[in-house]
Amino acid sequence: MKDRNLDSSISSTEHGGFKKFLQKDLTPYLVFLIPMAFLCVFLFWPLVTTLLRAFMKSGNKFDLGALGVSGFEKFFTSALYQRSLRNSFIVGISVTLCSLFIGVPMGYFVARVKIPGKSLLLSLGILPVIMPSFIGAFSWIILLGRQGVLRHFINIVLVPLGLELPPIYGMFGMIFCMSLTYYPFVFLLSHGAFSSANALLEDAGMLMGAGRWRVLRTITFPLVIPSIGAAALLVFIRSIGNFGIPAIIGGDQYVLPTLIYFRVNGFWDLNGASSIAVVNVLITGAVLWFQKYVVSRREYETISASHVEIQQHKHPVLRVVAFLYCLVVLLVSLAPQIVIIVMSFFEKWQGLLPEGFTLANFSKIPKNSPKELLNSLYLSTIATLLTAILGSIIAYITERRKPKGAGILDMAVMAPFILPGTVVSVALLSAFSGRSAIPLGGTYTIIIIAYMVRRTPYVYRSVAASLTQLNPSLEEASTIAGAHWIYTFRRVSVPLILPGIISGSILTFSTLLQELSTTILLYGARTRTVPIQIYGAVADGKMGEASALSVLLLIVVFAIVYATNKSKGRDLSAGLKM
Amino acid sequence: MSLDLNYREVSKVFGAGGKTPVEALKKVSFTIKPGELFCLLGPSGCGKTTLLRSTAGLESITSGQIFYGGRDMTSIPPFRRNIGMVFQSFALYPHMNIFENVAYGLRVRKTPEAEVRRKVSEVMELVGLTEELKRNPSPAGLSGGQQQRVAIARALVYDPDLLLLDEPLANLDAKLRRYMRAEIRRIQKATNITTIFVTHDQEEAMAVGDRLAVMRRGVVEQIGSSDELYNKPNSAFVANFIGKMNFFKATLALWDGEEVRARIIGPDFELEAGKGRNHLPVGTGVGSRIVVGARPEQLSVGLRRVEGAMAGKVNIIQHLGQFVRYEVSVDPVVSAQPFEVDMPGLVSGIAEGDEVYVTIKKGLASLYLPEEGQSE
Repeated sequence: MKDRNLDSSISSTEHGGFKKFLQKDLTPYLVFLIPMAFLCVFLFWPLVTTLLRAFMKSGNKFDLGALGVSGFEKFFTSALYQRSLRNSFIVGISVTLCSLFIGVPMGYFVARVKIPGKSLLLSLGILPVIMPSFIGAFSWIILLGRQGVLRHFINIVLVPLGLELPPIYGMFGMIFCMSLTYYPFVFLLSHGAFSSANALLEDAGMLMGAGRWRVLRTITFPLVIPSIGAAALLVFIRSIGNFGIPAIIGGDQYVLPTLIYFRVNGFWDLNGASSIAVVNVLITGAVLWFQKYVVSRREYETISASHVEIQQHKHPVLRVVAFLYCLVVLLVSLAPQIVIIVMSFFEKWQGLLPEGFTLANFSKIPKNSPKELLNSLYLSTIATLLTAILGSIIAYITERRKPKGAGILDMAVMAPFILPGTVVSVALLSAFSGRSAIPLGGTYTIIIIAYMVRRTPYVYRSVAASLTQLNPSLEEASTIAGAHWIYTFRRVSVPLILPGIISGSILTFSTLLQELSTTILLYGARTRTVPIQIYGAVADGKMGEASALSVLLLIVVFAIVYATNKSKGRDLSAGLKM
Repeated sequence: MSLDLNYREVSKVFGAGGKTPVEALKKVSFTIKPGELFCLLGPSGCGKTTLLRSTAGLESITSGQIFYGGRDMTSIPPFRRNIGMVFQSFALYPHMNIFENVAYGLRVRKTPEAEVRRKVSEVMELVGLTEELKRNPSPAGLSGGQQQRVAIARALVYDPDLLLLDEPLANLDAKLRRYMRAEIRRIQKATNITTIFVTHDQEEAMAVGDRLAVMRRGVVEQIGSSDELYNKPNSAFVANFIGKMNFFKATLALWDGEEVRARIIGPDFELEAGKGRNHLPVGTGVGSRIVVGARPEQLSVGLRRVEGAMAGKVNIIQHLGQFVRYEVSVDPVVSAQPFEVDMPGLVSGIAEGDEVYVTIKKGLASLYLPEEGQSE
């Protein structure tokens, strides 16, 4: 200890400065370096390559000498490109509007009207988001497809009138399925806003003589607009990046993600796919900018000393209407899951009732898809573990150490949250396929990396949320007591943010099990996963097999989510927010 | 063996190089004696917490040096400084029972298990929690005062060189606060560890500290014992922060060796400064705007007009036990604030609303430079 006062006397000399540098604790920089290196190699570099490739001639040659805009010209010359772009816009906007239309009233009803089973409504409400969306799409094919059961019924009524319900394939199908998949974002976020708004503000409005409707219009809605805006943004970004639903139910209508798949899978045209990816990201970016500078400007800080329980509507008619509305929405959005379960026990279902009860669909699984089951489990587990570590460390760094450039780190980590899955895989393919410096094409590694890049935001946000609730003096107390920051992290921070880490990891694991949009471009013969197998079976018309696999997936995901919700104090929604 | 603590020109700038740098500490230099219980006192934003956190190493200082017992600690990371700290929020670990909370610093130091047990029970006895240690609940199962004791025990158990207390009583209710401040003083004296106690409550600081430093805007205004700060405040700010002081607007009339006289503006009479009560900086010119200060008990109120009295009107009469407080408003030219005059008992014949005369008791007038806003 005595030698410490030596260097203060010579600290001004160069030698002293170097000694000081050595004496400084370098471990934070080392730990900071690992996630930074990961992000640089597996996020920045692929994105830069993608951007460069977007300006190269179609094909997969990486040629910096011949940059041009031929990739983008197709958006002006090719009818397919133009239609895909238009479709993406229409789908994005329509799904957002429909989700708002379904979700906002439901949020209001559950928050403000006295109806039974609210907690059940809330916990079932999140299911469509967590369940694989492409499974929903193919079960709607069973119901409303060319030989769809429901369509069959409806047409019995309609045909005598000279009308016919067309099969669900196409734009309508995409918008329908996506709205039912994504409305829960609006429902849950607006429910949160409606139930947390300060009732005193509304009471004050009424005391000043405003009627119920006027209060709703001039006080309640302006206060929840930011939450609803955030939900709408989330829905738009998700729907414009969704691959599974348009791939299964889109028919001959392409959207940008399926167009990317088409360029890569059909022509191995990475440069062309990059151009489309850039356009796709530009749209998302523009909407994000709009949300940030237009919608979030209207955010209000509620000034209040006390908080009062919100009065609930008790009018019997309203109560019945509200309850029925929620019930119908929930039933319709959960119908696919029910249909899939029924379908999995039958050979075919083309008429009124399913035919040929059988357990063969299930008993065939171990024989037909053993590799896929193992791969899904292996890839999801490894990726989740690594994501949990990476996300927690980055969250800890940005929240607690607050280095210069923490803002950039935050943006970098969150970037993949808004990037469509197909874009992430195109970026990784651009950087690491073929004769790249690090050739990873067709390996497990590239899929694990893609999963990590895409899911780190879940853990990151979830952990960051727990950290902000944790008083920094708990950690400072440990530092003062003599603990090195790694000891503090291990003994104080981690135990206290464990709930955040676990819920982020669970969300990661359960969504990775059903990941399709990234995997579809990255898998090889060795690395097929269960969702890939389901997708293939649907394409081949093997509905029974696809259903059985889907049921398996549903059971696993549901069990995980149910177990999580059962154990107290876990909140999955933190990881879903931006 | 306790250490002294020495600050040399310690400065701290938040957001240096940014658009709005904030100078939280401006070349602070002073020394705390070994074994002393030293209070840092000041209004919020004065830099007292920044100075405490810099002492702990939780903030790095922009320039200057901090010495513990002659050792320069400026660039030593906080976890190697061997200090104990009690936080305003107590910062007890909810995932550990109280034994593990207290033992934490010993576990960090890899102390043998038997030694850990011995030291924890020793320190728990010192803070008066022997019974609670037997039950060993988690911190949530304790009252606020008990949590406070656990936090103190946790900071003391590994024999730190220095004990830092950051507004330790702010989270307790008023009655408990008064009791705990005596407890803190007892425990500090028993261990004789050099201690810094940060607070914004002057009564608390005067009750607890051996010596106090009053801080404002990143500068130490005055250091001294409670008695020195109360009876010989060297600035109008300290005078009004430690207790109450009434100020009269005035000009400097004469400064001739020992004799210093002020001319009160308005009633326009001269007044001699009390012995040792001239706190004007050397070189203040005759005719400069100054203020004359007097504590409530240094004023008196009466019905008769006498030499050097100011006319006023009684607003309120409050009976406060040992004395009676008269609030008297005077000509705003003399003071915009009403005066507080404490008399040992009721003055017969004076009622609320009456015209009265206020005088400064002989030899008790103090002279200061005016604070911002006092000179107009």
